[in-house]
Amino acid sequence: MASITINHISKIYPGNISVIEDCNLEITDKEFIVLVGPSGCGKSTILRMIAGLEDISSGELYIGDRLVNDVPPKDRNIAMVFQSYALYPHKTVYKNMAFSLEIAKTPKEEIDVRVREAAKVLDIEHLLNRKPKALSGGQRQRVALGRAMVRNPAVFLLDEPLSNLDAKLRASMRTELIKLHKQLGTTFVYVTHDQTEAMTMGDRIVVLNAGLVQQVDTPQKLYDCPNNVFVAGFIGSPQMNFIDATLKKDGGGYVLGINGDSLRIPADKVMDALAQYDGRSVKLGIRPENINDDADYVAAHSDSAISAVVEVSELMGSEVYLYLRYGDNMLTARVAPTTKSKIGDNIKVSLDMNKLHLFDIESGDVILN
Amino acid sequence: MKIGKKTGRGIASILLGIFSLIYVSPLFIILFNSFKSQTNISNEPFKLPSAATWVGAANYRAGINDYGLLSGVGWTLLITIGSVAAILLLCSMFAWFITRVNAIYSKILYVLCVFSMVVPFQMVMYTLSQTADALRLNTPWGIIIVYLGFGAGLAVFMFSGFVKGIPLEIEEAAMIDGCTPVRTFFKVVLPIMQPTYITVGILQTMWIWNDFLLPYLVLDRNKYNTISMLIQYMRGSFGVVHMGAIMASLVLAVIPVVILYLSAQKYIIEGVAAGAVKG
Ligand SMILES: Nc1ncnc2c1ncn2[C@@H]1O[C@H](COP(=O)(O)OP(=O)(O)OP(=O)(O)O)[C@@H](O)[C@H]1O
Ligand SMILES: [Mg+2]
Repeated sequence: MASITINHISKIYPGNISVIEDCNLEITDKEFIVLVGPSGCGKSTILRMIAGLEDISSGELYIGDRLVNDVPPKDRNIAMVFQSYALYPHKTVYKNMAFSLEIAKTPKEEIDVRVREAAKVLDIEHLLNRKPKALSGGQRQRVALGRAMVRNPAVFLLDEPLSNLDAKLRASMRTELIKLHKQLGTTFVYVTHDQTEAMTMGDRIVVLNAGLVQQVDTPQKLYDCPNNVFVAGFIGSPQMNFIDATLKKDGGGYVLGINGDSLRIPADKVMDALAQYDGRSVKLGIRPENINDDADYVAAHSDSAISAVVEVSELMGSEVYLYLRYGDNMLTARVAPTTKSKIGDNIKVSLDMNKLHLFDIESGDVILN
Repeated sequence: MKIGKKTGRGIASILLGIFSLIYVSPLFIILFNSFKSQTNISNEPFKLPSAATWVGAANYRAGINDYGLLSGVGWTLLITIGSVAAILLLCSMFAWFITRVNAIYSKILYVLCVFSMVVPFQMVMYTLSQTADALRLNTPWGIIIVYLGFGAGLAVFMFSGFVKGIPLEIEEAAMIDGCTPVRTFFKVVLPIMQPTYITVGILQTMWIWNDFLLPYLVLDRNKYNTISMLIQYMRGSFGVVHMGAIMASLVLAVIPVVILYLSAQKYIIEGVAAGAVKG
């Protein structure tokens, strides 16, 4: 069927602008893979190379077993949903969806069956005779999906299809898309700059930064075991906290010295690789939900307790974000709404040292997850 | 004193009505004069035809029999339709190409096209007629090529202005949907550009249909005459001014343009509106 293999692909735009460098990716058949990264990192470029809308400067691209570097878009058996939807403004919704089948000389009756089927799935049957300009954003988006669906493509390419929608519609379309993927059983390549979207939709996620693949993994693995500081900071909201610390050998184990505090690394986390960082600075990473201000918890984990000043407190409904000043560092803690901490309080919080991440300060690579 | 909204509108309507009457009056004067006898046209040009001055279709017959007015209409029609069709089709394809293909030569071609608009016709007309003769373009088919050259500047300018406004992604979607570039043009780009086709088409038609100088210089007068060339002969060449035939020819010259405008009016307004609110 349709796996996609990206083999050492680079993209250099005219004017010697290098956008993608040596990208390698193995997308399996029927997978929902999400490309995520900050604006301008080259997500669309990769997608457009898969679609054949952009030349590949070097490397090989396979769809299934077929090398498609020089195959025009129309012969790649793919469908694409553009960020701007790109509907044909002069055609009705029906004609928009039927167009590719008409080009392929599909019999009229079959076109009709397929268009109506797709329209039913997407709940746009009542719109079939309208022109795109008489549709709302969400409706246009579904038409764009419908246009891709009727063709039964081997691969679905979606470029930020939800970015023009309001928050509520976006959330509901997210679930619709997941359902659609289950239903169609096709390979989906989905581009977004929104890490929440990536986390909720992808079977696997490709994190990109500045044209380089940072990590390819399942959402859970990305969250728990980021490869480097970039991935750790990009995935998760609010962001992971980073604190510079000094690693020191202490007895059989290691401790992290920060602001005169000394936090012990749990024994089961200690590994040989730490030896080379003895006495050096490292970057400690801890997620907001692993900083706890509950009195019982702090009492039980006094060896990882630190004191910090609450600068801002945000009630999010089911949880509270505390923005803490700890020495020179700002930390975000995600605590229960029952918290007693008030703005201005000097409080004690404990870090869950089992959820600790350590990164090399220079390279940003992970030392310990 | 405050004037009510209705009164204001009424006054505006009356004023505009008077203006429109002034504008269309020459057309009517030509129309009714074309049914009057020669002397009466010259002596009392603003009088409506009466039983005494009415000559029926005699002027038209004179124009047709003595001057070959019908073949003049035929050639003018052929030249206009042929030239406008050529300009619309070729210039729109050309404009699409040079706008979408990002290369030095397409920029140069565009600048050349636009530059041709600022060269006055009088500057090139003598050499042009010589060249046209030498290349045997002195036939109605040949002059279509000359018109294509003269029309290209404005047409390419307008078409490429419009193409720049079409999101590239629509064309990319067509490529993914299975279109070759040629098909993308005819199935997607051309229908989207419809308002521009109408605007350019009308501008070019008006100009080419009414043009006198170019066919006069280029065409082989012994074989092919356009309406405006014939009208020129009627008033000069034989020492007499045949007013009756002139009036009849003018009517025949004006009618197609009026019909074109009235039938395309809806699209003209639509085209203007489509340009105003992009969507
Ligand atoms: N035609 C082009 N010529 C030169 N550079 C380009 C071209 N198209 C894109 N780029 C550059 O390539 C980089 C990646 O662009 P791309 O569109 O892939 O980003 P993206 O990850 O999709 O960003 P966004 O989230 O904003 O859509 C950008 O820095 C951009 O400036
Ligand atoms: Mg993009």
